[in-house]
Amino acid sequence: MSERQIDILLDSLLPLLKAGVAFTIPLTLVSFALGMIVAVLTALARLSSIWPLRLVAGFYVWVIRGTPLLLQLFIIFYGLTYVGIILSSFTAATIGFTLSVGAYGSEIVRGSIQSIQKGQWEAAASLGMTRGQALRRIIIPQAARVSVPPLGNSFISLLKDTSLAGSIMYLEMFRVSQQIVATTYEPLLVYSAAGVIYLLFCTVLTWLQSILEKRLARYSAS
Amino acid sequence: MSGTTMIEINNLHKSFGSLEVLKGIDLTLEKGKVLAIIGPSGSGKTTLLRCFNLLEVPDQGMMKIGEMSLQFQQGNGIRTADTLALRKRTGMVFQSFNLFPHMTAIQNIMEAQVTVQGKSKAAARSRAAELLGKVGLGDKADAYPHQLSGGQQQRIAIARAMALDPDVLLFDEPTSALDPELVGDVLKVIRQLAAEGMTMVIVTHEMRFAENVADHIVMMDGGVIVESGPPEQVIGNPRSPRAIQFLNRVTNYDVT
Ligand SMILES: Nc1ncnc2c1ncn2[C@@H]1O[C@H](COP(=O)(O)OP(=O)(O)O)[C@@H](O)[C@H]1O
Ligand SMILES: [Mg+2]
Repeated sequence: MSERQIDILLDSLLPLLKAGVAFTIPLTLVSFALGMIVAVLTALARLSSIWPLRLVAGFYVWVIRGTPLLLQLFIIFYGLTYVGIILSSFTAATIGFTLSVGAYGSEIVRGSIQSIQKGQWEAAASLGMTRGQALRRIIIPQAARVSVPPLGNSFISLLKDTSLAGSIMYLEMFRVSQQIVATTYEPLLVYSAAGVIYLLFCTVLTWLQSILEKRLARYSAS
Repeated sequence: MSGTTMIEINNLHKSFGSLEVLKGIDLTLEKGKVLAIIGPSGSGKTTLLRCFNLLEVPDQGMMKIGEMSLQFQQGNGIRTADTLALRKRTGMVFQSFNLFPHMTAIQNIMEAQVTVQGKSKAAARSRAAELLGKVGLGDKADAYPHQLSGGQQQRIAIARAMALDPDVLLFDEPTSALDPELVGDVLKVIRQLAAEGMTMVIVTHEMRFAENVADHIVMMDGGVIVESGPPEQVIGNPRSPRAIQFLNRVTNYDVT
């Protein structure tokens, strides 16, 4: 590596890290938190006995899963301006990723709820609990444990997918690396540096996920 | 025959699709008495027991539990409020325990007291601790279900069912999922409850236990009651051919 390349690397690390911490991570955290709320509500709607709820929730999941995420982001950010809705790139990205996490996450949550034995519902019912109480106190806590590993994977995917937000002008890490490459003409070096930072973030997340899994597994054999 | 009636059912019917599982059941049980339900597999015992707390809703007939009286008619649902009220008065012990695996033993017993009865945690905990002592597991308060043997889990389940001070306890083959050496501990707890005057309905295949603990036994076959009376009559001196056949198969008693 030439001295010039070392300088470029050192000069780009700080802006990249900054973009990661100030843009990539907040977008990931906010979208995931909101997405989880949407996921649980959607899962409950799909399991509901009220058919219009099931229909609306099913339609939403169908649309989001059946179209590219990048296209959804473009519709929200560029498309909506044509009907007078002008969103900041952060807002547009948050909406896009929340909807995406909500749709995929709802399938995970729904599967986890359905995986809980019928006997748990019956035990709760036999004690006089309402359906809501049984869900909240008995079913969801057990379903949560089942859904942590797959949701952890969604979280990690989301962190990487936020790089798509660069194409709607959001200054996350990948977009910043592109800007640096445009002035330094060192794509291999700068993109690799960005890759290492993504890897670092994902490693930390994986580690946190395994701690959470261990905590939640406390009560179960195996 | 001076006691007050705790359970009374009349002409109870229940079908699953085109399969009629209960074909007109009549029963009465006085407060403080123990009823054992015996009979071959598939005869409708579990279904009948589950009707008592509306885990299955009968299609037709009348059911009175304590003060509460319900009329069933096909197509007419039971109000949720009635269902919940009935379930607060009845406790159920399942064949496969169905403890809440994410809660410790004491939390299992506290849960409904707090969530359903609205008791404070402290009050619920002290009641739960008392019940744990009663089933002989005072030292297992903080154990999770998977850390306990089947017999211990079933005793926790009995304590959980009793936590709401129900008028009636319902048992569905409470020992049939247990290793033989663990059966005794569970039966001992049930015997003790009987001695204390708890009203209970027990579906069981333990004939000797039924004979010892029950005040009244009914034998079901094919969705009807084929024999009903005190143990010495039903097990000792049955009259219907189907009862004689069943007892010959499951016991060592010579009933012919
Ligand atoms: N939820 C259900 N749906 C359909 N059939 C059922 C259901 N529950 C029980 N049955 C049927 O009803 C009959 C009686 O079952 P059950 O009450 O469990 O009998 P038992 O407890 O005496 O063995 C059986 O033929 C069983 O297959
Ligand atoms: Mg049965």
